[in-house]
Amino acid sequence: MDKPIRIALTKGRLEKDTVGLFEKLGFDCTAVREKGRKLILPIPDGNLEVVLAKANDVITYVEHGVCDMGVVGKDTIMEMKGKFFELVDLGFGRCKFALATKKGYDFYRGYGVKTIATKYPNVARSFFEKKGMDTEIIKIEGSVELAPLLELADGIVDIVETGTTLKENGLEVIEDVAPISARLIVNTVSLKMRQAEIEGLIEKIQANL
Amino acid sequence: MKNYDLITPEGTKDLLFGECIIRRNIEDTLRGIFSSRGYSEMITPGLEFFDVFNLNSRYFPQENLYKLTDSKGRLLVMRPDSTMPIARVVATRLRDAILPLKLFYNQTVYRTEPALKGRSDEIVQAGIELIGSQLKMADLDVISTAIDSLKAFGMEFSLEIGHIGVFKELVGKLEVSDSDKERIRKLIESKNFPALNDLLDSFGSNSVIAALKKLPALFGGMEVFDKAEELIPDENVKHILDELRELYCDMTELCGSDTNITVDLGLVNKTDYYTGVIIKGYLQGHGEEVLSGGRYDKLISEFGYDIPAVGFAVNVNAIQKVIEKNGLFPAMPKIDAIVYAEKGCEVVAVRAANELREQGLVVENALFDDIETVREYAKEKKIAKVVVVDGSSREEE
Repeated sequence: MDKPIRIALTKGRLEKDTVGLFEKLGFDCTAVREKGRKLILPIPDGNLEVVLAKANDVITYVEHGVCDMGVVGKDTIMEMKGKFFELVDLGFGRCKFALATKKGYDFYRGYGVKTIATKYPNVARSFFEKKGMDTEIIKIEGSVELAPLLELADGIVDIVETGTTLKENGLEVIEDVAPISARLIVNTVSLKMRQAEIEGLIEKIQANL
Repeated sequence: MKNYDLITPEGTKDLLFGECIIRRNIEDTLRGIFSSRGYSEMITPGLEFFDVFNLNSRYFPQENLYKLTDSKGRLLVMRPDSTMPIARVVATRLRDAILPLKLFYNQTVYRTEPALKGRSDEIVQAGIELIGSQLKMADLDVISTAIDSLKAFGMEFSLEIGHIGVFKELVGKLEVSDSDKERIRKLIESKNFPALNDLLDSFGSNSVIAALKKLPALFGGMEVFDKAEELIPDENVKHILDELRELYCDMTELCGSDTNITVDLGLVNKTDYYTGVIIKGYLQGHGEEVLSGGRYDKLISEFGYDIPAVGFAVNVNAIQKVIEKNGLFPAMPKIDAIVYAEKGCEVVAVRAANELREQGLVVENALFDDIETVREYAKEKKIAKVVVVDGSSREEE
């Protein structure tokens, strides 16, 4: 048998959803479910090997071709960019990028350059660039909601799922930036060198979405 | 102030010993292949004026160029590519040369890559340019050279062809803005089916839109041509497909059945640059293409000389990476003898060493004061013979 197809999964929720999907395809994912501290796990009957990684690293591993495929959120793809094929929208992990401000704040008023706090500076920059708007972007690592409350920023660009955190902190979404969901990405060389296997797997996945 | 005197800049590295041998072997192999086909070498400056790379259809985004200024304040770049400088030379000094021109190069190019991504900013590219012929035989000449270039390294490889014309014909029939065309191109390039479908649906539905949606899926073997013909009922596209199919068959015949040759009609990178056939080469175990090229009939005309051209470049660093990954390190050349001179016998020793070299041996002059240290050194470095010169030359094991 050929060496297994290596697929990197974003640890956490996307990993669980993907394993669920694989089980629906009839693969035995016992090893992944009982992984312990292991980071590379076999799915022998699918001739697959699962690699567990952080979202950004999924893209890095797939770009370099050390993993043939990966499952990663559109949020990470938009922020990191990179060269790979983005073949399938897996439909799970749905949420959105949105622009939020303090409730009742008139964000677009006045001539002053607005300050935006975000964990996703590239996403924020290209959103405002498309509007032809100069903004000052400040990268925040933790809870971005704090920045407008502490009056460091006029608004934030962040992932919004239910909006509960925003509401509880007196913030509101004023504009959607982009929808987000999990994507199946494939290394550009792997797709060509192992076309039959990868296309076969993708067909199965698409039939079960 | 921090000193950076002990490290090399991001994206660069020193090559030592065995690494250099691998590098030169690759370069010599490719140089041999190119020159045996009648291609002549060209060396262009490492520094060029920015303007050479800032033509109407900016093929090189300015943020990826290493820039500096000359003593008159004019903007220079470190050469990011060899094809544009060669186009410049062809349009100027080689304007009256007999055609076709067959040129090859083997030189470093510089591009800024994002930091901390394991990428090189300094890459050696070896490639050919066949200038002044639009014949199918010219494409085949270049493609067969590409095949031989990949074959030469004895590793599993795959070659892929495409044709920019299919995309251009289709997108030319769409009445949408240039920026939307660019969005379509990007989504086809990344085979992003979900987003491509959404975008194209917003323009309505007709046979052109249906064909564009399927374009990124049109890759694989011979079957792709039939699928494409069925999907795209267009005279111009049919001509392109026939031409490409013929080339594909020729390549299969040239390579034999054990080489994987594929076609991808969704290859739409650098659409301003390429005008016809596109080729890419892949090596098993490397995540990016190691060879890329194609036909670019309009490029040289941007320098004022309207003449067709086709060519490709091999990423020498990538091939080196794969060779090293596969553990294919070459044997280091061994040193056959070391010659030690007793005090006062230095000239005789130098002569003795030269005599041995004339016999084809690799010989070092000993650079120690006493014979014991020389013996130890020879043992450590596995030098077979120690020669002591003390007036009456004698040999030892």
